[in-house]
Amino acid sequence: MRAYTFTQARSVREAHSRAGAHTAFLAGGTTLVDLMKLDVMAPAHVVDINGLPLRGVTLDRRGLHVGALERMSDVAANPTVRRHYPVIARALELSASAQLRNMASIGGNLLQRTRCGYFRDVATACNKREPGSGCSALTGWNRGHAILGTSDDCAATHPSDLAVALVVLGTDVHLASARGTRTVPLDGFYTLPGTTPHVENVLRPGELITGITVPRSAWAAHSTYLKIRDRQSYEFALASAAVALEMRGDTITKARIAVGGMGTRPWRLPAVERALTGHRATEATYEAAVRHAASGSKTLEHNAFKPALLRRTLVRALTALEEQR
Amino acid sequence: MTVSPVGREVARVDGRLKVTGAARYSGDYPATNMSYAHVVTSTVARGTIRSIDTAAALAAPGVLRVYAAGDGRLRLYPLAPEFSFFGENYIPLQDTTVRYYGQIIAVVVAESVEQARDAAALITVAYDAQPPRASLADGPREPSGPTSSGELSSVTVLAPGVASIDEALAASEVVVEADFEQPVQHHAAMEPHTVLAEWDGDRVTVHAGAQMPTPFTILLGQRLGVLPQQVRLIGRYVGGGFGARVIVWSEAPLAAAAARELGRPVKLALTREQMFTLVGHRPHLTQRVRLGASRNGVLSAISHESVAERPAAGGWNMLPGESTSDTLYNTPNLRIKPQWVILDMPGSWAMRAPDEAPGAFALETAMDELAVATGVDPVELRLRNYATVSPSTGRPWSSKHLDECYRDGARRFGWSARSARPRARVDGEWLFGTGMSSAAYPAARQAASVRIRLLDDDTAVVSTGTSDLGTGAWTMVAVAGADALGLPLERVTPEIGDSALPPGAPAVGSGATHSTVPAVVAAARDTIDALKQLAVTHSGSPWHGANAKDLRYKQGRLHGNGRSMTFGKLLRALGSRGVDATASEPAGAPSGYTFHTFGAHFCEVRVNRFTREIRVTRFTTVVDAGRIINARAARSQIVGGVIFGISGALLEENHLERDTGRLAASTLADYLVPVNADIPDIDVHLLDRPDPHLTGPLGEDGGEVGTRSLGARGLGEIGTVGSAAAVGNAVFNATGIRIRKLPITLDKLL
Repeated sequence: MRAYTFTQARSVREAHSRAGAHTAFLAGGTTLVDLMKLDVMAPAHVVDINGLPLRGVTLDRRGLHVGALERMSDVAANPTVRRHYPVIARALELSASAQLRNMASIGGNLLQRTRCGYFRDVATACNKREPGSGCSALTGWNRGHAILGTSDDCAATHPSDLAVALVVLGTDVHLASARGTRTVPLDGFYTLPGTTPHVENVLRPGELITGITVPRSAWAAHSTYLKIRDRQSYEFALASAAVALEMRGDTITKARIAVGGMGTRPWRLPAVERALTGHRATEATYEAAVRHAASGSKTLEHNAFKPALLRRTLVRALTALEEQR
Repeated sequence: MTVSPVGREVARVDGRLKVTGAARYSGDYPATNMSYAHVVTSTVARGTIRSIDTAAALAAPGVLRVYAAGDGRLRLYPLAPEFSFFGENYIPLQDTTVRYYGQIIAVVVAESVEQARDAAALITVAYDAQPPRASLADGPREPSGPTSSGELSSVTVLAPGVASIDEALAASEVVVEADFEQPVQHHAAMEPHTVLAEWDGDRVTVHAGAQMPTPFTILLGQRLGVLPQQVRLIGRYVGGGFGARVIVWSEAPLAAAAARELGRPVKLALTREQMFTLVGHRPHLTQRVRLGASRNGVLSAISHESVAERPAAGGWNMLPGESTSDTLYNTPNLRIKPQWVILDMPGSWAMRAPDEAPGAFALETAMDELAVATGVDPVELRLRNYATVSPSTGRPWSSKHLDECYRDGARRFGWSARSARPRARVDGEWLFGTGMSSAAYPAARQAASVRIRLLDDDTAVVSTGTSDLGTGAWTMVAVAGADALGLPLERVTPEIGDSALPPGAPAVGSGATHSTVPAVVAAARDTIDALKQLAVTHSGSPWHGANAKDLRYKQGRLHGNGRSMTFGKLLRALGSRGVDATASEPAGAPSGYTFHTFGAHFCEVRVNRFTREIRVTRFTTVVDAGRIINARAARSQIVGGVIFGISGALLEENHLERDTGRLAASTLADYLVPVNADIPDIDVHLLDRPDPHLTGPLGEDGGEVGTRSLGARGLGEIGTVGSAAAVGNAVFNATGIRIRKLPITLDKLL
């Protein structure tokens, strides 16, 4: 780990005053400290933001408000979240380990870096870590890599379970910088790698996530999150799906679908949503709707199974959701 | 009346120390004026180092030394030719050749761990790299002999009039032919290799985990250019071995050489990442098994060929047909042909059931395929081909109750309720299936010496330089000592994990227990004799002048001539602290027999009908390992071995990158081993039938010495043999899909 200065900010304004090109904000530290140990991130200054008043989980007419510094475990255990937004609680509980969930923050979760083994090993080429150095994953071990939203420069998977659930729910992200505050939809927050995989979102230098708002919706209570992986816990998703349906009788009137483990960012599937809408909730409907779920995907040597896994994950998630009803 | 603890549920004597953190592992020892080393590893797989820039590291805070490849500042030496098998075939840092990706090319020593690690990150290296040999499919094949007897390790047994194994197969009514592949697997012990080396004059004390404490001093001594008696190895508590702590790798010689050069104690701990390239792995291999049989499943031919990775830097010589295809079934025609391919990859070494686990995965999967092809139930198929003598040597087994393992296991598991038809059992979105397999593992006894001291407080100390890798050896020594001396367990103090003790059994080849026990019995006999001699020769003794033959020892007391006294009371009366004797038992076993531990596994899995995750739901293992010394530790070893097997079947894989020779995974996030949620309760049953031919120096009747601990065979590895095949066979029964390439992951079933 390289030497760095460490300070604690007591207000958002103070945090902004410390922000700069070589400054990193520290919340739970589960990504930042890990990557600093690996020399993947080497900020000159670390500003601890845990003293900022970015806390609270509240529900009002507009929806669910969660402060950026709320811990994953606290949000997952929150009765309001569990009752009105089960997909959020489920996605959180299937993330990481209990110890990590106790430390990791909601804001930090949305900003966690990819688990690509080449990004994490400074001895290898990685355009995300070191722009222009190349992508070792394209010819290396890429079983866990993305098939949607990839480019010739990067196929790293976005690792967050929570973000997949939040994207389905139409979540807004609140940002603050010295220039003021703004709100962006989470779906538009993440950028595609293209030729600049080191840019992962629309955050401006020094800008902080202060919180999120998840709108109220009928489908939020009828939603689930399914995570597929080789072992039963403590592993990132090979595939995951957040699905939410609004029903009239047996008919799907509105569908929201997003998948994880497949894309370079949380991946909405509007075509699948459209294909479900207006149809009866049966396995045959699901099978038909997911037929083209992976269209436009690009597979690599070791992840050619992912389109099929994507389709099957969606059918299973939809089936499970219908059985819950 | 003292009851022998042998065969009972005995809690670990070191359990409290471990759960309270009081047990000291290698890295826990302090030293005055300590310094800390961190190693730098290569980032190409083959080539030479053009230059290493250490200037920034040398200038970093707290840095004491930087030793770089080829700088000649650390003096290390080759192993003697007769020991060359037990180490990599080059000397660390003595040249600028890079033999694999992840080889040690520099060592930084500093005042703190953090300073050493941070300075190491400042070292830059330029290479003249060559394309590595990194594909098993591309390299030329070499025969994997010779064995120690000078023979090629191939085996050919042909029935009279049969010209070749191919002819035998061609004449068979049913032929199964199957190709298998297994990736690189890692020992991944919980405790990273950590060494503390401290010199006192020309003697060095090394704290490290070692499976063979005495050989460790020989091997490290050769690397350092000193005699074995100048090296003391202390490794009382070890966080897992599995084969990764058998030989001396680079870290211990480098730490000891740096400590010598620097004149200060040096502690060197490998990182988890470094553990993936510096302490061995189970080699990548492919296997082809061909079985010929009659229509009712009676075998006429077994052919078992293999092609395994052999690292250019040296390593384990894979012989997956040994103790599998040459052992498990009666067959008139047998061919075993192992081959290697030299690759530029990290040194390999034995990993728990090194040959037997991969060999049994191939053979026992092929047997399941034969069961499917012939319609014979898998258990019945194995009974029809039951071997009563070794198919390769013709020798009978010393003791074999494998048939009972099959029958007991089938009953406990409920095997008869099974449908042979795949996909016959569906529950909701899960397909259920069951599978079974056989297991065998050789039971070779190693030489061991044991010293017993009877003390004046009526306790006994049993000392032997074996090693407890977490297996329960501390407790085993105490149990064997308590049994032999007829003392309650709490009055016996075991002493192990130190090369200053009498040379103990190596903790390899599932051999520590059944090698140690006979020596404990012999030492008890000799110590009791010494006690009697003291009693009749010491002028202060009530038995002074009596004939030692008139004295009887029983359960801590001497009796004779109408008197009776505990040994402690006698010693106190004589003003003696204690009496002791040391006994040694040789390696080997009675000739004319074959010695194996046997077992049978039964597994149930569920496979999701949509996404194909495989979850093991039930597992039953029945083991015939001769006498059971400690039922709790034995069961725990089998459970751990089975988990190893499940893990290898479903999760473990390190991909060797074709272009770079780099092993893709270097963390336990990327190299998967099971979490608790992946493992069901494992039902273990131990037959506990003492081996009549492993009764040791006193036979079954030891006179005054307890011998209930004799007749044991090893069981540390048998759980790993065949368990992966049982999982794979269950997956086939659940899905109708046969996967012959490990690990069996969901993508292969989509």
